[in-house]
Amino acid sequence: MAATGISESPPEATPRATPGALELRGVTKEFRLRRSRTVTALESVDLAVGNGEFVALLGPSGCGKSTVLRMLAGLDTPTRGEVLVNGGAPAELVRGHRLGIAFQEHALLPWATAYDNVALPFRVAGRPVDADRVNALLSLVGLEGFTDARPRQLSGGMRQRVAIARALVLQPEVLLLDEPFGALDAVTRRRMNFELARIWADQQITTLLVTHDVDEAVLLADRVVVLTGRPGTVRHVEDITLPRPRDKALTRDAEFHDIVDRLTALLDEGAE
Amino acid sequence: MNRARTTVLTVAGTLLLLAAMEGVGRLGVLGESWPPLTQVVAALDDPITRDLMGRALAATATAAGTGFVAGTLVALGVALVGALLPPLQPGLDRLAAVVHAVPLIALGPLLITTVGREGTPAVIAALAAGFAVFVAATSGLGAAGAAHRDVFRALGSSRRATLLRLQLPSAIPLLIDGLALAAPAAVLGAVVGEWFGAPRGLGVLLVSSMQNFQTDLMWAAALSAAVISLTAYGALAGLRVAAARRFV
Repeated sequence: MAATGISESPPEATPRATPGALELRGVTKEFRLRRSRTVTALESVDLAVGNGEFVALLGPSGCGKSTVLRMLAGLDTPTRGEVLVNGGAPAELVRGHRLGIAFQEHALLPWATAYDNVALPFRVAGRPVDADRVNALLSLVGLEGFTDARPRQLSGGMRQRVAIARALVLQPEVLLLDEPFGALDAVTRRRMNFELARIWADQQITTLLVTHDVDEAVLLADRVVVLTGRPGTVRHVEDITLPRPRDKALTRDAEFHDIVDRLTALLDEGAE
Repeated sequence: MNRARTTVLTVAGTLLLLAAMEGVGRLGVLGESWPPLTQVVAALDDPITRDLMGRALAATATAAGTGFVAGTLVALGVALVGALLPPLQPGLDRLAAVVHAVPLIALGPLLITTVGREGTPAVIAALAAGFAVFVAATSGLGAAGAAHRDVFRALGSSRRATLLRLQLPSAIPLLIDGLALAAPAAVLGAVVGEWFGAPRGLGVLLVSSMQNFQTDLMWAAALSAAVISLTAYGALAGLRVAAARRFV
């Protein structure tokens, strides 16, 4: 079976020999609708993310890309196929509090301050709150002056930064980001992309970013996996070799625009 | 500006209502059983009546208060059990609905033989208040959004930690709504409970003054019951405003 998503491993290699940090093997996901009708969200998807790699899962809305992320977080289970995180079931990683996650909805606790929201994973894990770590993350995302602010006193971009700080606070082995900037305006979104690039360069955590923004995917990722259609299937894998650190200058780069145009065309074809 | 207007309208509405009561009584349009408000209040000038009313009020308030606290605690306990053991949830919901559906009058004889005439008012108050709190607590504990639940699950949160750090705080506004509804229900429950032969209380006073055609006394007892209800509701509604500011 051709491992569509594993671009760097030689075809002869058994999948066990080069276990990625995140792996989907022949994953099909069906959702049951009313009257025993089912809809197939994903069809035999293979995907692997190596240790310390940043992969963007790019696709139009409704192609099942969020489902991939939810299965990796143990929030959904595949109908057929296998989902592995560090060689085990996603639930194992979750039980060990070693997964960081952020959604399009920031999902911050409205009654808690920015500090308490970032400290939440410590409390949920039953560990003493490491105040230095919480403060360090708040300053990493540029919110040192807002420790005592409640979510509704913060702007949309700031809330998203708190959510990302919360995802990172326990030094997770895997970071899953589901359209974390989807609700932001274009300018803030781009600024947050560069912020995330800077933060990621600092931590180099295995990351899967789900997005429908082609620029965002190319700016951030080592590899972009294009998912199209209903049911969702892997249509293309693009290695992004653009140099890091990536900053604003890159958005004027011809090669960057080439890649963006090519991937956009793929998405466009897939939508037909 | 908006708040001032609300206050003015509330005061104006209350005065209008009181004036209407007085007017109807003075004109006698509804017969002798509707005395003017001033006459009802004047009846309390008599020290013996005032003393009688005071004792009745204290008895009813005590029964309602005891019932409110006990009913709230039991309801919260049951709601928490339902939240921690989801398979039990539907059964507990149905049980609460069935208990609530039994008419209080039908429970009367049963309670008199089990908890006695003295204890009945508090138990009925507890049943009335407990149902309101149970419904509010159950929906409150389920009020957290899907995204919040997902974050807690992905963080590897235990059921207990999720209950403590997500479900309980997000239940607070609805819970206080439930308490604000439960307080008047407890007063009503206590008054009804006193009809089954309690030694004293506003309910006893209502029945005896009705049978002896002491119209003023009957109205005074009814208004006293209304005053306790409104005071309890007002206090909890104030708490709700504070909670809405903190937890939403």
